[in-house]
Amino acid sequence: MEEQMTENLIQSNNMVLDTNTCDYVIKTDGLCKTFSTGGVQQHVLNNLDLCIVKGDFTVIMGNSGSGKSTLLYALSGMDKPSLGVIDFDGEEITKYSNDKLAKFRRANCGFIFQEVFLNDNMSVMDNVLAAGYLSGLPRKQVYQTACNYFDKVGIPQEMYKKFPSQMSGGELQRVGLVRAIINDPKVVFADEPTGALNSANSIAVLDIMNDLHKEGKSIVMVTHDMRSAIRGNRVLYLKDGVILNEISLGDYDKEQEKQRLDKLKSFLEEMGW
Amino acid sequence: MLSIIKSHFHKGKTGFIVTGLFVILSVLMMIVGLSICLGIGNLYEKTRTLTNSADFAMLVDSKGVGELLKNNLTSREDIEEFGEKGCYWFNSSSEHYDDFMQFIFNGGRGNINHTNFVVNNIDNENDKFKPQIRDIVAGEGFKVYVTGDYIATTDVEIGSIAYFYYGDEKYRGYIAGIYDSMCDIYNSNVFYVDNSLYNLIAEFAKNDSDFKYDYRYDVRLKYESESECEQKILSYINEIKALVTSYEMLNPNEEVSYSLFSKVTFIDATKSFIMILGTALIAFSVLIALIAALAIAFLVRSSVMDEVRNLGVWKSLGYTTMMLRLSYLAIYGVIAGICMLVGIILGTSLMPTFVNVVTAMARLDCTKAIGFNVGSLFVAIALIALVIAAVVMLATNKIKKITPLSAMRNNFETHSFKKNLVPLEKSKVPVNGTIGIKSVVGESGRSVMVVVVVLIMSFLCAFTSVAFYNLKVDQTAIINMSAIEVPDWYINYDYEDNEPLFNAIRQMDGYQYDTMSVAGTGGYCNEKYVMGYYYEDFDKLRTKMVYEGRNPKYQNEILWRVDSAKEMGLDIGDSVTITFYNEKEVIEKQCVIVGYYQSIVNQGSFMGLFDLISFYFDEEYLSKWSRYFYFEEGKVPTAVEINRHIMTTLNIDDIKHKGFMQGIDMVKSRFLNTIETAADAVMALFISVTAIVITLLLVMLIRLKILRERRNYAICKAIGYTTPNIMTQIAVAMVILSVIGSVVGAIIGGLVTTPMLSLVGGIIGIGKFAFIIPWGYIVGIFFGIPLLTYLVSMLCAVPVRKIAPATLLRERG
Repeated sequence: MEEQMTENLIQSNNMVLDTNTCDYVIKTDGLCKTFSTGGVQQHVLNNLDLCIVKGDFTVIMGNSGSGKSTLLYALSGMDKPSLGVIDFDGEEITKYSNDKLAKFRRANCGFIFQEVFLNDNMSVMDNVLAAGYLSGLPRKQVYQTACNYFDKVGIPQEMYKKFPSQMSGGELQRVGLVRAIINDPKVVFADEPTGALNSANSIAVLDIMNDLHKEGKSIVMVTHDMRSAIRGNRVLYLKDGVILNEISLGDYDKEQEKQRLDKLKSFLEEMGW
Repeated sequence: MLSIIKSHFHKGKTGFIVTGLFVILSVLMMIVGLSICLGIGNLYEKTRTLTNSADFAMLVDSKGVGELLKNNLTSREDIEEFGEKGCYWFNSSSEHYDDFMQFIFNGGRGNINHTNFVVNNIDNENDKFKPQIRDIVAGEGFKVYVTGDYIATTDVEIGSIAYFYYGDEKYRGYIAGIYDSMCDIYNSNVFYVDNSLYNLIAEFAKNDSDFKYDYRYDVRLKYESESECEQKILSYINEIKALVTSYEMLNPNEEVSYSLFSKVTFIDATKSFIMILGTALIAFSVLIALIAALAIAFLVRSSVMDEVRNLGVWKSLGYTTMMLRLSYLAIYGVIAGICMLVGIILGTSLMPTFVNVVTAMARLDCTKAIGFNVGSLFVAIALIALVIAAVVMLATNKIKKITPLSAMRNNFETHSFKKNLVPLEKSKVPVNGTIGIKSVVGESGRSVMVVVVVLIMSFLCAFTSVAFYNLKVDQTAIINMSAIEVPDWYINYDYEDNEPLFNAIRQMDGYQYDTMSVAGTGGYCNEKYVMGYYYEDFDKLRTKMVYEGRNPKYQNEILWRVDSAKEMGLDIGDSVTITFYNEKEVIEKQCVIVGYYQSIVNQGSFMGLFDLISFYFDEEYLSKWSRYFYFEEGKVPTAVEINRHIMTTLNIDDIKHKGFMQGIDMVKSRFLNTIETAADAVMALFISVTAIVITLLLVMLIRLKILRERRNYAICKAIGYTTPNIMTQIAVAMVILSVIGSVVGAIIGGLVTTPMLSLVGGIIGIGKFAFIIPWGYIVGIFFGIPLLTYLVSMLCAVPVRKIAPATLLRERG
C-alpha cells in the first residue's frame, strides 16, 4: 500500500514540473551519488531528476540521511556525483575538474552553512573580501559592495575588523550571508542556515534571504525546520535519494505564515515526515 | 600521560620525522667532524705506519756526507728506524729539444716529459722504507710507480704507457700503480721502477755522467706528539745542513749536491683543509642541533595550544604541570634517543667513507688512519640531550598557565586578536599574495623560526661562497696570504751563462720585466734556525708580501713572518742579528724589521733583499739563478713558444732546463691543489646541507600547516579558491620569509666572513684575510634560496588538492 502511494507521488511529481520545459537555473538528469565505507556501498542519491527554477526560493526537506545535503553539494558543484548530469545554467558542471569547479563556484554559487565556516585567522571583512576579490571586479567596488551588504544585514562598521571568535552566532551567520552574495552568484545555497541560531537570529537571517529572493535571486535551501521551509516558494521532499514530491507555497507573505505552515505540515504528513 | 604522548605523536608525525632527521644529521656530523679533528694527530702517525713512510729523508751524491750522516744518526736515541739505499738521479742536457725528455708518460691530453728525475728500485728487498704500493694494474714492459698527487694533478693515469728514452734506444713500460710515501707525496720527479728498468739504468749509468748515483737516507723518529716530531725534523734538517757545510769546509774540492724531504710538507698541505672540513662538519652539527631545537620548540608550543582542553582535563584529574611537561620531554627524549642511536650507527658506518674522501684529497691511501672517536660520541649525545631538554622545558612553560576551568571553558587565549594585520581592503598585492602575507604576520612564531633558519643557512652559504671564490676562482688573496710569488714564468737554465737565453726571452712580444729570487737560505737568530727568502726588488713582485709595515728597500731591511715574530717577541723596528754559515765562513748580519708578512704555507721566517746574502754569490752565480718573467696580460707565451723563440734566436737545437714552470703551477703544487679540492668539498657540503635543512624544515612546517589549516583551506575551496591558489598562498608566505632570511643572512655573511676569518686565523698566525667579496655569488644566494623555498613549498603543498570542501561539510554536518 505504501509502495503504491510512493509510486503515485513520484508520478505526480513528474507531472508537477517537467524538467524539459521549465525555465531552469539547475537541471539534473539521472543524478546518483554513492558512498563507499568499509567496502559497504551506500546509495545516497538514486537516479534523481530535478529542475531548480530561476528566481525560485527552493527548499529541500527530508528526514536525516535522506540525502538533502549531498544533493545540495552536488547541485552547487561542491561535490561530484557518481553518475548523472548537472546542467547549471547551460554549463554541464559534472565534467569539470575540481579546480574548474572551484572557479565555477566563485562566479555562480554562494553558500550559507549551518556552521558559518569563516576563516578564524581573518577579520570578518577579510573573510568577505577574500571571496569578493575572486570576482575580478575592481577592489574598491568589491569593498563598497561588502560595506553595503554589511549595512543591509546590520553589521556595523566597527565590527568589520573583528575576528570570527569575537562575534555572536547570529552576527557570524549574517557575515556568512554577505560572503555568500558578495559575488552576486546565480544561486545561493543554504544548508540549515538557522540550525545553530536562536529564534530572533533565525528570523533575521531568513528575512534577509527572503529579501534576496524578492530581488530575484535563486535560492536553494536545505532544512528540516518548517518555520524556515515556509520561507520558500517551492518545497521538495527527498526520500531515499529521490524527490518524492513537491509543493508550491507561492511567494512568502508574512501575513499568511500560518496558512503556509499548515499547508506544509499537511504535505509533510503526507510524505510520512 | 600515555594518551598525551600518543595523541601528540599521531598529530605530528611529519614533525617528528623531520626533527628526528635533524637529530640524526647533527649527531652524524658531530661524530665525524670531531673524530676527524681529534684524530688528525693519529692520522699522520698511522699514515706513516700504513705507508711505511719516513719522517724525513736526505738524498745526497756524496758517499762521504752519507757516511757522516749515518754515523751521526745511528748513535741517536730518538731515531726509531734508519735506512740507506741507492738510487739514480738523472739530469738530461744532451738531447734535441723535440725529444730531449727522457721519461715520457702518455697522458690523456698529451705527453708529460721528464728530464730531471730520481729513480728508486721498488724491488729492492733491502729497502727498509719500501713504500706502500696500491692500485696496481698489469701491463706490458717495465713498471713505473708514481705518487697519488702525480696522478691527481697530471693527465697521466694508472696504466698509461711510459717510454724511457736513452740515446737512440726506446723502452716501453707503463704506470703500474701508485706508491705512498709521506716524504715524496709532492715530489713529481721521484719514481719507483721495477728491477728490469732499474738494472738497465744501472748499466747506462756506468758510462754516463748525466746519471748520478745518489744515496738516500730515510729516518723515522721516536716522538710523543706530532708537533714534537715536526720540531725534531726541523732541528735535524738544520743539523744536516750544518753537517754538509762543515763537510764541504773540510773537503773544499768536493761539490756536494743534496736534497731534503720531510713529511712536514705533506702535513702543511693537508692539515689545514682536513681541519677546515672537520670544523665545517662540527659547525654544521651545532647549527642543525639549533635548528632541531627551533623545530621542537615550534612543535611543542603548537601541540600545547592544540591540547589546551585535554591538558586542562588532565590537570583536573590531578596531574601536575611538571608531570605534563615531563610527558612532552619523554616524547622527545625517546625520539632523540632513537635518532641519536641511528646517528651514531650511521656516523660510525660512514666514518671510513668520510675519511676516504678526506684522505683521497690528501692523495695518500690512509683510509684507516682516522677512526671513530669515543669522545665525539659523548659530546654529540650531551649536545642533543641538553638542547632537547632545555627547549622542551621552555616550550612547555605555558602549561603552567592552563587551569582546568579556563581550559574547559576554552578561554585560554591561543591567538592575539588585537589587530587585523594586513587587511585585504588596504592591500595592493594579488589576493593570494595578501593571504600569504597575512599568514606570515599572523603566525609570528613560525615566521621567526623560518627566518632564523634561512638566515643561518644563507649566512653559511655566503661565508662558504666568499671562501670558495677566494680559494678557487680568484686566488689573489690566498696567494698573497701564502707569500709565494706568482710570476708568469719561473725559469732556470743549466748553462755557464744563462744571460743569452734570458735576453732572448726579454725580446719576446708582451715581455714586461723579469726579476730574481733565491729561496730557502737560512741562518740562526736567537739560536733558532730561520729560513730566508731573498728578492731582487720587492716592488716588482705581484704577490703583496707585506701584512703590516712596508717592503724592504735597503740591504739591512727585512720582513719577518708575523707568527714567527710573535713567537720570538720581535716587533717592527726591532734590530735582529742573523748568523749565516757560508761554505767557508760564518757571517753575522744586523737587520731591521720593517714589516711583517703572513704565510699559510710556512714560507720561511724572514724575507730580505739579495744584498743581505750577497756574500754567498758572485755576479756570475746570480746570473745563473732562476728568474721570474712577467708578460702583458693576454700575451703570456706557452712553454713551446718560449723554447722555439730561444732556439730560433740563438740558433741552437737544444735547451738545458733546470727549472721551467708557470708561476701558478708552482703555487698549485705547493698548496693550492689541496686547498682547491677542499674548497670544492666544503662548498658541496654546505650547499647540500643547506638544501637538505631548508627542505626538511619546509616539509615539516607545510605539512603541519596543512594539517592544522585543513578547515580553512576547505572553506577557501568552497568559496572558489583552487588548489593552485592555496598552494601559492602557502608558497608566498614561505618565500617572503625566505627572502628576508636569505637577504639578511647573505649580506651579513658577505660582510663578516673576512673579519671572522681574520679573527680565527689570528690564532694560527694568519691575521689578515683580505678576501674579495663575490657579490654576484651573494646575489645568487638571494635568489637561490627563495627559489628553492618556492619549489619545495609548492611541492609540499600538493596535498592541499586532497582537501575536499564537501568532506569537511559532511563531517561537520
